[in-house]
Order: sequence, then C-alpha cells, then structure tokens
Amino acid sequence: MMPLTAVVIAIPALLAAITLLVPSRTGGPLTALGGLVSAGCIIAVGLGSAHGVTAPDALSSLFLLPVAIVYSTVGLYTVWYVNAESAEGNPGELFRREFLALTNAFACSEIIVPLLTNMAGLWVALEATTIISALLVRLQGTLAALEAAWKYILIASCGLAFGLIAVIVLYVAGAGPLGEHHVPQWEAYVAAAPRLDPDVIRLAFIFALIGFGTKMGLAPMHAWLPDAHGAGPTPTSAMLSGALLSDALYAILRFAGITNAVVGGAFTHVLFFIVGLVSLFVAAFFLLQQRDVKRMLAYSSIEHMGVVASGLAFGAPIAIMGALLHAVNHAASKSLAFLAAGRLSERYETRELDGIRGGVATLPFSGTLFALAGLSLAGLPPFGIFRSELMILSGGFASGIWSAAIAIVVLLAIAFAGIARWVHATSAGAPRASVPVGERGSSATYAMLLALVVVVGLGLVVPAPLWTLLERSMALVDQSR
Amino acid sequence: MSIHHLTASQAFAGTIAALLLLVQLALFRSVVLAELITLYAVQSFFVAVISLAVGLSTAAWDLTALAILTFLFKVVALPIYLRGLTRGISSRVEIPSRINVMLSLLIAAGLVGVSFLISAQLPLKMGAFLANADLGTMLSIVFIGFLVAILRPNAVTQVIGFLTLENGVFFGAVTLTPGLPFIVGVLVLFDVLVAVVVFAVLVRVLVALRSTAATAQLQDLAG
Repeated sequence: MMPLTAVVIAIPALLAAITLLVPSRTGGPLTALGGLVSAGCIIAVGLGSAHGVTAPDALSSLFLLPVAIVYSTVGLYTVWYVNAESAEGNPGELFRREFLALTNAFACSEIIVPLLTNMAGLWVALEATTIISALLVRLQGTLAALEAAWKYILIASCGLAFGLIAVIVLYVAGAGPLGEHHVPQWEAYVAAAPRLDPDVIRLAFIFALIGFGTKMGLAPMHAWLPDAHGAGPTPTSAMLSGALLSDALYAILRFAGITNAVVGGAFTHVLFFIVGLVSLFVAAFFLLQQRDVKRMLAYSSIEHMGVVASGLAFGAPIAIMGALLHAVNHAASKSLAFLAAGRLSERYETRELDGIRGGVATLPFSGTLFALAGLSLAGLPPFGIFRSELMILSGGFASGIWSAAIAIVVLLAIAFAGIARWVHATSAGAPRASVPVGERGSSATYAMLLALVVVVGLGLVVPAPLWTLLERSMALVDQSR
Repeated sequence: MSIHHLTASQAFAGTIAALLLLVQLALFRSVVLAELITLYAVQSFFVAVISLAVGLSTAAWDLTALAILTFLFKVVALPIYLRGLTRGISSRVEIPSRINVMLSLLIAAGLVGVSFLISAQLPLKMGAFLANADLGTMLSIVFIGFLVAILRPNAVTQVIGFLTLENGVFFGAVTLTPGLPFIVGVLVLFDVLVAVVVFAVLVRVLVALRSTAATAQLQDLAG
C-alpha cells in the first residue's frame, strides 16, 4: 500500500504549488477535487489496513480519517469561500491564491503526521503544521488575526519544544538497549519495552503530554486555541479543530503506547484523567459565557479533547475505542459546525452570537445544519458523538471508576447547556429584517452535506472495517494488556 | 570514540552548561532590550561552541556543519536583525517585568533545583557521565526561558525567552543524543523557519502598533 500513501501525500503537495500559480477560479475547484480524491485514497488505505496486514498500521490509518473528512469538506467549501470573501472586497486575488496554496500545504502536513512512526520525524511534521497554520491564521491581516497568530506560534512552539524534549529523553532511554545510534522507530521502542528504563520513559511521557497536549488544546495549555480558531479564516478553523488536534492526539498516543508497554497503564491513565477533567471543566464554563460563534466552537473543541483524554484515562477497551472513535466524530461534527457558522456569519456580517437570530429562517439549509451540528456537539443521538461518548462512559462505569464517570457526566451536562442555549438562540425565531433571506445551492452546501453524512452515518452504524481499525488501534495504544 | 575523548568533551560540556545557565539567569537582571539581544547572541555562541566540540570529538561532520550554521544564524544574523527591528522602537526603553528581579531570580533558582533533582534521579545509561547534569541544564534553561516569556509583557522579550528556550533544547539534543544528528539538524532548520515566521508576524504586529512593542496592548482576545 506504500504507493497509495505516497499518492495521498502527493496530491495536496502538488496542489499547494499549482494553486499558487493558477487563478483562484481554477484553484478552488482543483482543491475540492484534490480533497475528495485524497479522502477516497485514505479510505482505501484504511480498508487495506483493516483487511490485510498492509502498512501503515491501524493507528496511522485511523488517524488519517479525521484529515480525510476535514480536507474533503473544506476543499469543497473553499470554492464558495474564496468567492464570498472576495465579494466583501477585502482580500484580492493574491489573498485567494495564498489561501488555497496554504490550505493544501496545511492538509499535506496534516496527512504526513499520522503516517509517521518515527518519533523524531513525528515531531518535525507537527512543527511543520504549526508553521503553515500560523501563516493561515494571520492571513486576514487584521490586528486580531495577527495577535492570534502571534500567540499561537509562540505557545505552540514552546509546547513543541517540550515535545522535542520528550523525543530526546525517549532517545536517551533507548540508547542503552537499542544502541547510541538507533533510529527512533516506534515499533523498536515497543519491542524493547522490557529493557527500557521506566523512570526515563515516565519523564518522556510527561513532556510529551505537556508538549503535544498544548497542540491538542488540552487545558491548561489551551490558551492559544480560542484565539487561533476565532481569528483565522473559517475553513482554517475547521482544519485546525478537526484535524490538527487529532494529529497531536496521535503523537500523544504513540508515546502512550510506549509508556504503557514499559510501565503499565496506570501511569498514563492518571495523567490523562487530570488533563481530561481540567479541559472539560475549563471548556464547560467558558462555553456558557461565549459571545463569538467561532470561539464558542473552539471551546467545544477543548471540551471534546477533554472527553477523549477521559476515555483514554478509563483504560477499559471500550472506553479507549470510544476515545479513538470520538476523534473521528469530532472532526466531522466540528467541520460541519464551522462551515455552517461561516455561512451564517457571512450572511449576518457578524460573528457575535447575539447578532445571529432566526438562522433557520434566514438560511434554511446552513441554518438547519448549524443547529444539527450544535446538537451533535452537545452529544445528542442519533449523531456519532453520542455513540462515542456512550462508549467512553460505559467503559468508565464498567471499570468501576464511578466518581470520575459521574464528574464527566456533570461537566458534559453543563457544556450541553452552554451549546444548546446558543443553538436555540441563533436558530429559532424570525429572521432580521435587515438580513436577506434564502440561499441557493453552492459548493458550500455540498461540503456541509458531505460532513452531515459522516456525522449522522457514524451515529447510526460503525462500518466493520472501521471497527477493526478501532480494535487494532486500541491494542496498539494499550500495550500493557 | 575513545573514553579519553568522551571525558574531555563531557567535561567541556559541563563548563559550557554552567555558562549557558548563567547567561539564562542574566536575562532577569537586564531590563534593556539591546542587552537581552546581546545575551541571546552570547548564549547562542556557547551553543555553537559545544556542538562544534561534540562534532569534532565524535567525528560527526554533520554536527560540525550545524555548529557553523548555528553560529552564522543565531550569533550573527538573528541578533543583527533583532537589533534593527527594535531600533527606534524601544531599544533604550526599560521593559518592566510582572514581578521584581529578586523574586523572579528566586523562582528561577527553584526551577533549576527541581530540574537537577529530577535529572539526578534518573538512571541514564549513556556513555556520558555528565548526562544527568546535561539533562538538568537543558530543563533549567527551558523552564527559565518559559518564565521569561511569561513574565515580560513585551513581544521582543517573549521571542528572546522562546529562542533561549530553544537554545536549551539544542544543548540537550547535542550533548545527550550525539547519535541523533538528524534531529539536531532538523532542529536548526526549524529554528530558522520558526524564526522567520515569528518575525514575519512580529514585524506586522509592530507596524500595526506603530510605537510600542508591548503585547500587553493586545488584549482584545482575552478570555
């Protein structure tokens, strides 16, 4: 399957160069096509990994899925987005080309991350995602965008410096059993687990959790996230939230796999539980008081990353599988939410939640989908997030950690209240007199429809190959079993 | 790689480690921007020297080449550029700290203590007998760099904090993992890239704010 993964990387890489050179009228549709073809290839890679023993392994294939969902939907959406943005008159053709090129480059870097099992290479690829996405965040050129980009690159780079320390400490741990000039391959560390020093590995995991946890948006290292998600272009917000956070999660899971193999599960479970609960706590209360639609969605990302960390903390197989599935579900729901929110804020010409009223009446399609995405993010059935949260919580109750599971249910309920309140306020009611009503089909509506299919589809059924991937990934993460 | 060479370069590494840490602590003493930039250049010089020493003593020519690259970029180019950037903005203006010098030094001393305590307890089975001290130094510099970035409400100072933090990681990578020149090379490469992007953003922030370089003024997104 190696050629196919090469194709998956090559498509966005080539498009990044092409879209810079051709007019955005052509570049937009090319990006859309690239996203769809990439997604198709990624699904093929996943099927190959689930059915046979072809490379990459299950965990890599699984974490390609969030990128596939986000890249395909955002690719379609950009066709509408670049024209809508230029209609407002602020950016020009240069902005559009730069935006398309960076979007493809960002997708390329996001695809490379989960394909790597070389721990040093993994760090390099994550650093590359930071650089490209910081350029995207500052693209709109407003002072707020600049501040957000500034805060983002400074915090993310400091975080990644901690991630690099984790890689260095891991390498030092491996120097004894594997030799002072070994290649830092994940499989090699897992195979050598009994001969790795537990204390050094513990230190490496702590640094990995702090460093890559910063990038994943886990509290208390989340400060950059609401700004970057809020200030960047809407498709960028979707890519940051849906795919980049899961890339960082992938890096943490690789470290967790090694750590679990060396010292047993209890150590990582405790740390995951701390960051998970703090993230849920911070997000639940900030969700209640948000005024900006994109910042609200950003805090919802922190909430869901907290849910994932909690699932990993419970340690029961069903909870870990739920956490992994949650990353995929979150990518789909958050893409849908950001893309629909982008449509609403474009029509209402504001990102203030107070300014958006009667969304369903004004934009029958996007408004409805925004409401559905909100309900999905709040954790209601029949959407995918409900299923994965249920898996996580049932794992928590099954493993007998009642107090923790109940605490998470309470925090989820508070977050639910925060989201439900705004979904109701923005969607219901009569449209504003000053805002034109109605919408026509465009690439954006197809993009959202595609996201909706995944959001609902994964709620109704988990395809057998995906379930296989989840089971195998769980076994890779939970090496102590 | 003989034992004689290892001990010599490791003893040398110990000296450099102490100097790096001293420079890092001096960041708190200085309140003038130009001085902070000089301190960064001095620290980068020591980092270039240690990677040159390790590169030569282990006959790792890629590491030697990286040492020269580090010197050119971090000791010469970046400080000159930073000076140019801050000239006329606030180069002679004193930068306030959120807390006073004594208290920040105390916190820094505590961080150094914690770093060395953690490192000393780890059984690092490397050939280098100073591995624990090297790890402690790396952690200390990283924590202090972080502290500087947090405590000084000024865009350029935050960059200095971040860059010295990276110097710390660079030192750790060179002394602890001489077998991993690949990652050190990539680190240098990304240093350059990150610095370019950081400065691209920084210049725009500075232009947008015209007269001051205070990120304290950038508080619209708080909360």
